[in-house]
Amino acid sequence: MTTYDVTVIGAGAIGSSVAYHLCEKGFKVALIDKGDIAHGSSSHCDAVALICDKQPGLDTRMGAASIAHYAELAQKFEYDFEFDRKGCLYVCETDAEYEAASAYAARQAADGYEMGMVDNKTLCEMEPYLAKDMVGGIWTPGDAAMSPYKVCFAFTYEAEKLGLTKYTYCNISSVTPVSGGFHLSTDQGELMTGKIVNCGGVWAPDIGALSGLSIPIQPRKGMNLISEKCEKISFHKVLEFGYMMSKFDSINFKRNVSPLVEEYNVAFNIEYTHANNVLLGGYRGFRGFDIRSEVEAMKAIAERGLRFYPVLRDINCIRSYAGVRPFIEDHLPIVSEVDTLPGYFIAAGHEGDGICLSPITGKLMAQLVAGEETDFDISGLDFARFAAQKASA
Amino acid sequence: MLEREIVVVGAGPAGLSAAIEAAGAGARVLCIDLNMRPGGQLFKQIHKFFGSSAHRSGTRGIDIGRMMLDEAEDKGVELWLGSTVIGLFPGNKVGVRHGQDGTAGAFVTVHAQKIIVAAGASENVVRFDGWTTPGVMGAGAAQTMVNVNHVKPGRRVVMLGSGNVGLIVSYQLMQAGCEVAALVEAAPKIGGYAVHAAKIARAGVPIYTSHTIKRVVPDESGRVCRVVIVGLDDAFQEIPGTEREIEADTVAIGAGLKPTTELLALLKCDFTFHPVWGRVPLHNRDMETSQEGVYIAGDTTGVEEANTALEEGRIAGISAAAALGYLSEDEAKARKDEIWARLAALRMGPFGEKREQAKQDILSAFDESRGGLAAV
Repeated sequence: MTTYDVTVIGAGAIGSSVAYHLCEKGFKVALIDKGDIAHGSSSHCDAVALICDKQPGLDTRMGAASIAHYAELAQKFEYDFEFDRKGCLYVCETDAEYEAASAYAARQAADGYEMGMVDNKTLCEMEPYLAKDMVGGIWTPGDAAMSPYKVCFAFTYEAEKLGLTKYTYCNISSVTPVSGGFHLSTDQGELMTGKIVNCGGVWAPDIGALSGLSIPIQPRKGMNLISEKCEKISFHKVLEFGYMMSKFDSINFKRNVSPLVEEYNVAFNIEYTHANNVLLGGYRGFRGFDIRSEVEAMKAIAERGLRFYPVLRDINCIRSYAGVRPFIEDHLPIVSEVDTLPGYFIAAGHEGDGICLSPITGKLMAQLVAGEETDFDISGLDFARFAAQKASA
Repeated sequence: MLEREIVVVGAGPAGLSAAIEAAGAGARVLCIDLNMRPGGQLFKQIHKFFGSSAHRSGTRGIDIGRMMLDEAEDKGVELWLGSTVIGLFPGNKVGVRHGQDGTAGAFVTVHAQKIIVAAGASENVVRFDGWTTPGVMGAGAAQTMVNVNHVKPGRRVVMLGSGNVGLIVSYQLMQAGCEVAALVEAAPKIGGYAVHAAKIARAGVPIYTSHTIKRVVPDESGRVCRVVIVGLDDAFQEIPGTEREIEADTVAIGAGLKPTTELLALLKCDFTFHPVWGRVPLHNRDMETSQEGVYIAGDTTGVEEANTALEEGRIAGISAAAALGYLSEDEAKARKDEIWARLAALRMGPFGEKREQAKQDILSAFDESRGGLAAV
């Protein structure tokens, strides 16, 4: 039987990063996935690392630390994951949005993050194809874009140099706590492991169930349109400020949008890729694990895209795709050990921030597994918060 | 959103026969095709069909197409031509880029109670050095140029592939006034019917078996001007020193077809891999896929020929109409049984047996995927 120090389950943006950071610390690591590397959400998403879409506080701190870490890794790694610090513009359609955005940016700036407001004129200069009637926007120069699946490939490629063992297309049938760790039965053989890190994303609850854990993650669907190759029409990551609204239901702006856009909870965001296609988003909805494209959602995304980039009228859409994000009600991931099951860790539930938070999550989780102090306090990401909720309910 | 009882995707032999059957039973049928004229491959087939009289042997494909069009019109089938189905979506929604009557390019969503996908097949390519050079095309494309558009694709053609498509198209190119410089086949013997191959040989076309195209050399304008072929050993590896240059301005590739299944993949229909047909959607004896109310027929289910496509289309049309209540269960079953018997007859002989077995495998795989509950 093969024995490992740590077994990471799930080879998406989170699992591949956790595996890399553990290898870096000298652990003997196995990485298991029921599919291939980046087979799930990490190849069915768009890819940005932003701080300007984070809630002030821990959320933003994680984002900023992750982007900084991304920049280091991009320098260090042999494998190119198309890291591009192109900056992010959050555009405001109305004065009310601009006011709220200004308050948000001021709060983030006060916390020491590089974030400020730009007016209509500056916006038009920065993004010449953007509709000319925007009030202004939030400009965050440090925000970045990358290729999401290449991030996973980069982490596993570099981790393999450090001794990582990959088990792809490997199904786990049981997880049994034994003295000194866990026994895993898989369709590729029996494994002994000292520790387990569950990085299953939307599938983390299934993996947790093998150990009797109830992990409150739900699949939340997202969808994007892809254009034909075209000239560069967007020079930064650009989103509408209303995106905040769809992400955090608590922020309640009434947008002036059609019933279709309203119904499908569509918020505009655009990304011009290294392959010269435009990615246009986005939509969030609960449809279980069904990632089939929905024609009304496609129309709504296109309609909202045209509002912000009228030039899209002359560019063909060639495809749409959808994926599922690991949604947690309080919009914070789980990055912690399970107090009731020592040696069992969870790093999952990043919803739409898995790519963004991949490096920092891997780094922090490796520190937790090694029993070291984490770079900063992440007790807010503790799995025990759900047990506490249940107890008080 | 428009409402239709049945939407048929594709107006080739399978789609038209499905539409005729369903409309004949009383259903409201909309048939959509991306070409400006319906009939699919039939309108390229100026040759007479083989087979039994029940399958119109001795009739030219183009005439069968005309008869079917008349019949579809009689039965009140609504046809949208020049219109592309860009997607099938959950809830039986059909996304169409509608191209007729001055609404060119308008995007329309049609809600259909039943959907029949008869989207046909697309040509395989063979990648050799220079395979994207102007003058290199599919054999089917060359056939469309001469038989439908009456345009010669070039002066001197090298045909790669000696299946029936390669053989028949070579002959039709000659009829149209092209010279066929060579017929090249990677296998040690001709793939298609001997009767077709004999016609080509009699016309003096050199046939190179155990050969393939190594590269295509362009002229100053960038068009094909020479084709380099090379001999292959038993393991299909090139034999050095056997290269031969042929002067030609056109290369036609008849390397087989693959089912057009993207629309079914979009709906997440269950698929299987079969060695004869490749990756194909599963279906039952009603031609229904794993998605309820979504049927398939013809080359989309695995590439065969026009007669089997016609018969499968009928089954799909009858099944969809029966599911809507236009035919009694008994009547539908009796008619489908008859067609399945005719299909079995069509899938006999050295060329058919393999396909009969493949079809049975697909049907069994469907039942297995349903937990072994065989649809009787």
